[in-house]
Amino acid sequence: MRRKRGGALAAIAMAGVLAMAGCAKDSGGDGNQAAGDGGGGEPGSCVTNEAPAAPENTQQEQTTEHGDVDASDLKIGLAFDVGGRGDASFNDAAAAGVDRAVEEFGAEKGNESPAAGSESEAAKEQRLRQMAEQGNNPIIAVGFAYAEAVRKVAPQYPDTEFALVDDNSVDAENVTPLVFAEEEGSFLAGVAAAYKTSECQVGFVGGVKTPLIKKFQAGFEQGVKAAGGDNIEVKSEYLTPAGDISGFNDPAKANVKSKSMISQGSDVLFHAAGASGQGVFEAAAANDALGIGVDSDQYKQKTLADVKDVIVTSMLKKVDVAVYDYVAAVAEGDPDDLPERFDLSVDGVGYSKSNPAIEDITDELEGYKKAIVDGDIEVSDTPQS
Amino acid sequence: MEKPDPTATTSARRLPGWARGALWAVVAIGVLSTASYLTDMPILTSSDTSQTALRLGLPILLAAIGGLWAERAGVMNIGLEGMMILGTWGSAWGAYYGGVWVGLAAGILFGLLGGLLHAVAVVTFNVNHIVSGVAINLLGLGVAKYLANLVFEPISGNPRESPPVEKFDTYSATFLSDWLGALEDEQRVVLSDVAGLLRGLVTHVSPLAMIALLLVPASYFVLWRTRFGLRLRSCGESPVAAESLGVNVYLHKYIAVAASGGFAGMGGASLVLLEGGADYLENQVNGRGYIGLAAMIFGNYRPSGLLGGAALFGYADGLQLSGGGAAVLALCYGAVLLLAVIVVLQLVRRHWWAAAGGVAGAAVLYWIYWTNDELPSDLIPYTPHFVTIIVLAVAAQRLRVPKAIGQQYRRGEDT
Repeated sequence: MRRKRGGALAAIAMAGVLAMAGCAKDSGGDGNQAAGDGGGGEPGSCVTNEAPAAPENTQQEQTTEHGDVDASDLKIGLAFDVGGRGDASFNDAAAAGVDRAVEEFGAEKGNESPAAGSESEAAKEQRLRQMAEQGNNPIIAVGFAYAEAVRKVAPQYPDTEFALVDDNSVDAENVTPLVFAEEEGSFLAGVAAAYKTSECQVGFVGGVKTPLIKKFQAGFEQGVKAAGGDNIEVKSEYLTPAGDISGFNDPAKANVKSKSMISQGSDVLFHAAGASGQGVFEAAAANDALGIGVDSDQYKQKTLADVKDVIVTSMLKKVDVAVYDYVAAVAEGDPDDLPERFDLSVDGVGYSKSNPAIEDITDELEGYKKAIVDGDIEVSDTPQS
Repeated sequence: MEKPDPTATTSARRLPGWARGALWAVVAIGVLSTASYLTDMPILTSSDTSQTALRLGLPILLAAIGGLWAERAGVMNIGLEGMMILGTWGSAWGAYYGGVWVGLAAGILFGLLGGLLHAVAVVTFNVNHIVSGVAINLLGLGVAKYLANLVFEPISGNPRESPPVEKFDTYSATFLSDWLGALEDEQRVVLSDVAGLLRGLVTHVSPLAMIALLLVPASYFVLWRTRFGLRLRSCGESPVAAESLGVNVYLHKYIAVAASGGFAGMGGASLVLLEGGADYLENQVNGRGYIGLAAMIFGNYRPSGLLGGAALFGYADGLQLSGGGAAVLALCYGAVLLLAVIVVLQLVRRHWWAAAGGVAGAAVLYWIYWTNDELPSDLIPYTPHFVTIIVLAVAAQRLRVPKAIGQQYRRGEDT
């Protein structure tokens, strides 16, 4: 019996060796080259509509400086949404804005507190109350999840200033909404995609189908249409429906989804899927496609260093600038002076130019940007379909 | 997919287990190819689909193997999830400093430590298995978070993610793959479908996937064909009887649960070390440990069954991701065909009620297929869960659970 088993094992091993001999390692590396030139036409050949004229001095960076603001009597409290510091997204951006304000204006850093994964409204209210009791002023609540809590707590502390990121539904004297025109930044991402596609088909990968992410989809689709008309097809897909936030945290699924979109002909993918975006970029890198990042300049993100060549640009949502401006405005005593919405005209949203691959189309992008700022193009914030 | 049930041997002319498995595989392929032909959805049997099925099913398969080892030794392992999380951190850490194989080893080691902790709690201290498992899930999450903060934050600048780590190379059986690819492109009925499904399994395969697939027959061999395996299973059926025959129950349970943790850790590594994966990312395991456990239970605590469960989940998940609503509808159609086969089978066996149930299920599915062009997009992402729940509900009618599972055992006491 024992000997027979040994014989069987040997046979299996032999068969295995034979099978291995017929196998070859997949050549790695060659998929990593910056893509865009494979397949059908040339990049840009799908564009049908001429871009609006670019403004004369395109490269003018208008970073707002509040040099001589003194905010030393402010103590800034930060209530994070799920994720907290280190989410490489809007929590981090808000923290960066506060850090900069602390450094430049001499404000005092107050309490910081992240939200737990599935906490109740009461916990959020409790956090805000506690911060107010501890003398934090202003208090910055990051994320639309805080809307209800701020609505309840803010009237109880009339002397404390509150800022609410990503939501403008609260109408109270001491609450300043910090909302962004995501659709305008995404519009430019759509224009960039239209100029970079060679297959005349581009894709949008949303993480979770929430109203906020739909704004990205809407802007992107309109941007593509503006540049390419009906010549370019846009496929928009989501990983999970609203209520299931795992879509922001599953690169493996985003990778599968992106691969299938690429195999169906899309060669530029824009994602608004948080940490899942990595899977999108890896699919693009492996299949000669391009990706467009979101929120921050993902070309520079350390955790994406391996695939950064395919990240042709990123749609920027400058929560840090908004927070920084807000602190300055509070220090000067007039938070109502802040723009109602941080849009393209105040550089609250935009696109990144760190990847050299974007240089050949910055004129066109600046042209569209100017057209939006001037009101010649209006970007709707809801998708058509 | 199959239910080899030694206690319920009613007819003398039962097929051996491998033949039943092969038969069901043939039926499944036949149903899929018929469905893809009739609904004009080649994606049902394309090589891309089987390739994604393998990749998405892999962590679940490994978790399920982990579950099998523990449960066969009579220890419930709800903690698989936590052990997988430990595995993800360990493998990212190992791979960053020493390459993929070190990463894999570190992932297994971290999972194994989680398993040992579970063993100490439930075997030595007789803690309730569920309580200890839940504790390990929480602990795994917390420890990984803490360690990521400590180790990864300075390198990646982000406490929730590791820096990019090396991934496994993938291998293809070139000649076979090309030949199958040519066959698939011809789009001949059945032949091209089989070629497509097979091709996905021989192209871009990582060593980790091969190891995981080999672990299925290896687990069967060790647990059912060796003396050690018999002793281990006897601890799950009747520890007192095993003890009376001189088996060291504590030792066998320890080994089983530690191995269980190791396999779960490997499942965690498979999330980190494969192409298109995530490096370490907080919460990336996202319930896959529980799904692995479900696949194992649905597989009737048998290696071949859990392979079927993991394949089913991976297949349905890959299909809904790459094919969307239309593909899921085609799958509905396939399910109708499968139910038809089952109904005929039940009628032959004169199980009237089961046959009636099958007819009703088929009618509902066919109605869904017939009346919808596009399923609500909010439900599509949960296709694999629906599929698994339904199959579980059907298959759970005839499960054969290890007898002493979850029971407390103390040496020298008889219960």
